[in-house]
Parts: sequence; C-alpha cells; structure tokens
Amino acid sequence: MARSMKRSPMKDQIAIVGIGSTGFSRGDRSPLSLALEASTRAIRDAGLTAADIDGVVATSEAGAASAPFLVASLGLTEVSHHSRPAPLIMFSLLDAAQAVFAGAADHVLIVTPVMMSSWNSRRAAADPWRRGARSTIRPIPEDAANANAYATWAGRYMHEFGASKDPFARIAINSRSNAAANELAAMRKPLSFDEYHAGRMIRTPLNMFDMDYPADGADAFVVTTAQRAAELPQPPVLIHAATTGVVGENTEDQLPSLKRHGQHVVVDHLKARSDLWIDDIDVFYPYDGFTIIALSWLENCGFCEMGGAERYLAEHWNEERQRIEIDGRIPVNTHGGSLSEGATRGTGHLREAVTQLRGQAGARQVEGAKVALVTPGGFFFNSQGAILRSA
Amino acid sequence: MADSIQTERDNSPDTEHKPAESDLSDAELLELFAGHGVYRDNAAQYRGRLAGQLLINRCADCDRYHQPPRPMCPSCWSFDVVPTPVSGRGTIHLLMHLHAGPPADGVDYQNEGHPVVVVELEEQDHLRVTGTIHSFGNREPSIGDAVELEYLYRGGAPIVAFRPSTYQPSQPSQPSQRSES
Ligand SMILES: [Zn+2]
Repeated sequence: MARSMKRSPMKDQIAIVGIGSTGFSRGDRSPLSLALEASTRAIRDAGLTAADIDGVVATSEAGAASAPFLVASLGLTEVSHHSRPAPLIMFSLLDAAQAVFAGAADHVLIVTPVMMSSWNSRRAAADPWRRGARSTIRPIPEDAANANAYATWAGRYMHEFGASKDPFARIAINSRSNAAANELAAMRKPLSFDEYHAGRMIRTPLNMFDMDYPADGADAFVVTTAQRAAELPQPPVLIHAATTGVVGENTEDQLPSLKRHGQHVVVDHLKARSDLWIDDIDVFYPYDGFTIIALSWLENCGFCEMGGAERYLAEHWNEERQRIEIDGRIPVNTHGGSLSEGATRGTGHLREAVTQLRGQAGARQVEGAKVALVTPGGFFFNSQGAILRSA
Repeated sequence: MADSIQTERDNSPDTEHKPAESDLSDAELLELFAGHGVYRDNAAQYRGRLAGQLLINRCADCDRYHQPPRPMCPSCWSFDVVPTPVSGRGTIHLLMHLHAGPPADGVDYQNEGHPVVVVELEEQDHLRVTGTIHSFGNREPSIGDAVELEYLYRGGAPIVAFRPSTYQPSQPSQPSQRSES
C-alpha cells in the first residue's frame, strides 16, 4: 500500500486570525441569523471588512446556508473560492487553509452553524420551524450506524478491556466543571458522579450524560497566510499540522477492531507531519460528541495504553476542581466540549484552542499556553486532528 | 458452505403475514421495506429475506464476502459479485439497548429497552449483520453469545433477528488473506 511521503509544505504557513461565536443555547433564531452574527464577529475580530473576504467555506450541516447564499447575505463583492464540506470543523478548516495556501483566496471565512434537530427533544419536536428536516418515512430501530454506533462500540470497549463506566463519568464531569467558566456554554451546571450514574439511559450502555448537548449556535473563523497574519490585530495562531483520516473498512458495524480506525490514521499522520506531539502541548481538545470518543482519543493519542483510560483518568484527576489535568498541567476541553458547551461539531474545540493560544480565555486561561492538540471526530468517517501553535 | 436455513417455522403465528416470495415489483419491494434503506445494490438481499434466506454478497473470483452489499468486490475489484445464502450462525459482537427511537410495531423502548445486535457470521472474520434478538428467556444476551438467525415479521416485512444458537459454533473459516503490500 502506498504510504505517506510525510510532506508538510503547509506547516505553519496558514494562520487563524479571526474567531466569532454566538454562544450556544436552546434558542429561537434561524441558522442564517446565527451564521451571520458569528461571521461578522469573526471578520471584525480579524480587523477586516467585507471587502477583504474573498473565500467562503460553508458547512453542509442540515439547515445551514450554502456558501453562495452566505456571500450574498454578507454583502460580499465576489469570492474566488467557495465550498461546502461535510460537518465537523476540520473538513472546513483544511479546505480553507488549502485554498489560501494554493493561492485561490487570501482571506477565507469559515461559517459553521449548528441547530438541534426536531428529534433531539420534545420541545424541539414541537417547534414547527424545525420540522422540515424530518422525513415522513420511519427508519427501522435495528440500526447500528451513526449515533447508535457509539453505544455499540462503547459496549465492546467495556467488554474487551473490562472497563467500568467510571472513565466515561470522568469525561462527562470534566466537561461540566470546565463549562462553568465558559459564558458561551449551553449547560454550565456541575455534575456529580452520583448524578452521572443515575442518568437516564438513552442507548445502554450510554446515558444522557454520555451524549453531546443539543443546542443552537454558530462559530466562524477567518484564515489567511501567516505573513498577512502578522499585520493583523490578533495574536496569530498557526496551523502546524492538520489531517483527516479513515480506514478502509469504516462502515460502523463492519469496523474490524477498536485497535485501528480513523483516530489511529489521524494520529499517525499528525505525528509524521508535526514537530510537536503530546509532550509539547499545553491544552488538549478531544472531540466528545460521545464520552467514548474522547476516551478513545486520549488512549489513541498515546497518553495511555488502549483500555488504560480508567486508571489514567483516575490518576490525572484534580479532585478539588473535579476535572482532568494531565500530569497536573494539561487540562482537557477547557470550554466544556460538546457535552456541555453544546453539540458544536468540533467548532467549539477549535475556537477555544485559538482563544487559549491567544491568551484571551479569561478565567479559563491556561498560563502560557503555546501549543494545542485538537482532535475532532469519532471512529468511522470523520476522524480528524490539528496541532495549533501561537506564532 | 452451509445451506441457507429455512427460518420460518410451520407453526409461526406470523406465517400468514409473510408475503409470497416472489415477484414483487421494485416499487412494491421499496414499499414493503420502507425505512430499511433499500437501494439497487442491496435489493437482492431484501428479496432473499422474503424467501427466508440471509444473502451476503460474495465474490465469484476471490471467494470473499463483504458487507454492506456493493456492486464490486472491494478485495479484487471483480464485478462478479453473487448474493449468496449464508448459515445465519455467528456470535454477538456488538450489543446495545435502545431506550428511545423510531416508533415500530412490537418494539418496546421501556424497561430494558429494545436490543440491537451486530452479529459476526461464522463464514468470515469481521463479516457482520445488524438486527435484533428474540428473548433469551431467563437471561440477558451478552457479547460473545452464539446465535442463529430467526427472522421476525413487522408489518409483513422480515426483520433480521437472532435467537440463542442450538449449534456449537464452528471456528470461523480462514478465507484467502488479502495480500500485504
Ligand atoms: Zn473478489
């Protein structure tokens, strides 16, 4: 099989220079309204105007506006790059970065709204504005794809490694403890071990606290060259390495083993292209659409061996702050992740990493944070990762 | 290779709901299996269910099975792919219980929830099908249990389901390995 040539010509060449967020909540605004607020915040944050934006990357999230519709809605003159990648932030970040690196555009705006769907809650189901996405044909329950897949493989993980729900609980509790200091987060109440274990089962072995928190909101980002970034007002955050990855047999119920899936591909490719790895990072943002995903990133990035998360998280637990602190130094999902900030599809993880590397995280700021590892996505078709550094 | 199993028992109360295996038009097949995700590349598998069979696509050139059904063998790129009856026997590889989900006749999301299993078939390593399980009687099913296919019928449509195996599962066969390169 053809193996990587380990080229990384884009290393440190592209910078994130603007971020904008609406915050996340169970609200009553349209995805377009949220997308436009986040976009204008991000462009202003970058010290730019509509006239500077010559690329737009939209997300193909259900209900989200297309790139051309956003171009018109933002009153942009014209753009020379536009696209609509799959949801999950790294598809968009990589597309935008590669467009800038290739010279297709100079200042690319990434727009990523998320909306809770009609099936996320009774209240959402009763909202006539959300009904459009609902198909009239009922799927059968005997399905191990998408969200169901994480329940089935969480059970497999517990079976293979004799794990209890304790490490799952620590991921969920860590998330809540951190979200308390994040004004953008939808769910900021602390969570106790007892509350976690009493959580309503949704898909045994996973309960309501093992799933991301459905909410509405939008994030937006502006990327440009590192050279141009030096002339802009915000401290530039450089994309040191970024990748997506899947294995060949990636259908949820056919994945051969937990020992080799998209996360492993991402880790191998990041390590091959990066000068920095887990000993060098200051903050860590593993995706947590489900608790099992974050647990697996921790193991697969090499913080501990496979199946070792239960012991590792207990050892690296700050009892007083009720959160994970790796070696007493590296906090995990300082914004609360998707479990508590809201189901952002990884946009929150990226935005918080940028905020920390800029030194603008306020009460959440990790002193002197210079390098972040951001790993959005699960096991099957959307595993991805990036190493970001301050300039 | 094992013969296809006839899963429909004579005394099954659902027999009367079983459509004649037959000559359903494509439109009728899609209507009967609405919500199952029937498309051109897996229609043969759904027609097979109506005959009580479990069909898995197998390559006539390299003999490997694959799932889900595709028009070309991913191992050798042969288009000579044959929906082939398998034994329906295997072991539970993945297991969960749904406590919420799409409404469906006979599906109870309350109490222990509705079980969904992914069963690894004895024909080939990692070759799996997804379905539900019939009651195991006085114990809970668990990962590693030997099971065998027994379709259940919902609105006349056969649903993949398993019951505890009455067979001793044999060792999975070792099909030709993919070349390492
Ligand atoms: Zn073949």
